[in-house]
Amino acid sequence: MLIFSVFKTLTDQTVIVELKNDLLITGVLKSVDQFLNIRLDNIQVSDEARHPHMIAVKNCFIRGSVVRYVQIPADAVDTQLLEDATRREALNQTKR
Amino acid sequence: MDTSSAGIQEPFDLIRLSLNERVFVKLRGDRELTGVLHAYDGHMNLIMSAVEETIMIVDPAEGGQGSVNYVKRKMDMLFVRGDGVILVSPPSRT
Amino acid sequence: MDSLIPFTTSGSLVDCVDRKMLVVLRDGRKLFGVLRSYDQFANLVLEDTVERIYHQDVFAEQWVGLFLIRGENVVLLGEIDLDREDEVPLKQVEWDVLLPYHKLDTDMKKRREEFKAQVLHEQKGFSKEGGEGDGY
Repeated sequence: MLIFSVFKTLTDQTVIVELKNDLLITGVLKSVDQFLNIRLDNIQVSDEARHPHMIAVKNCFIRGSVVRYVQIPADAVDTQLLEDATRREALNQTKR
Repeated sequence: MDTSSAGIQEPFDLIRLSLNERVFVKLRGDRELTGVLHAYDGHMNLIMSAVEETIMIVDPAEGGQGSVNYVKRKMDMLFVRGDGVILVSPPSRT
Repeated sequence: MDSLIPFTTSGSLVDCVDRKMLVVLRDGRKLFGVLRSYDQFANLVLEDTVERIYHQDVFAEQWVGLFLIRGENVVLLGEIDLDREDEVPLKQVEWDVLLPYHKLDTDMKKRREEFKAQVLHEQKGFSKEGGEGDGY
């Protein structure tokens, strides 16, 4: 739930999603769900020549399970807050 | 970090004690990362900053044995999906 | 469940229904068709579908019709910009002509990946499963 919440705060930020097939997609994060499926608008694919099927695509839905990384703007996250939230969630997990 | 008294009872305790520390992460496929850990969850999804990624490149040498080279890449802030993680190693204390 | 859908990403696919979409599958297939329905698992119904293959700057397509695609096989669902589609600098050729080239490309890629996984497994302790079914 923690990571899902983080992604929700990143809505409307520009992110770079890297898929497990090495496809890199830059776009504006429009929405995310509990599976970390991602909706990106106004996308740009790096090395378009190697992925010609993506040329005419403007917006896309990416299944969470195929994501390797998401590069996020560093100034959009408060790392201290993140660590505290992570410790709190870890505590809740063990108490369960 | 004193791991003996901090009480490591379950695997995730090790990574909890590595928060705000530089960790080494080995991933499935051909990649390794080092970076400062800021968040994780039960799937081992991670959020790290000041990440340096090492990507292994295999040059197909003639006659079987390939040689392994690598390229490095830096990223400011990175979400890493947990299903790709092989291991997380805390900062070395050497 | 219906009431939850608008709050999920797959819920945000509402605006893609009845539009021409690209679906990329985990085995690397590229399908173009009209999205008719979807659910929270990203199971998709695609109508009037064609499969496309590519080789350098040419492509070919083959009619495949109506599909229900199980969500776990989906990598990506892309909305086609119909204006931009006309400007794509690719030449279309006959399917049967392009197929052998496409097969050669995919076979070579597969062999390269298997070799790499084997070497990294033996020399660097990486998991060979890295490329497991991720040939897309």
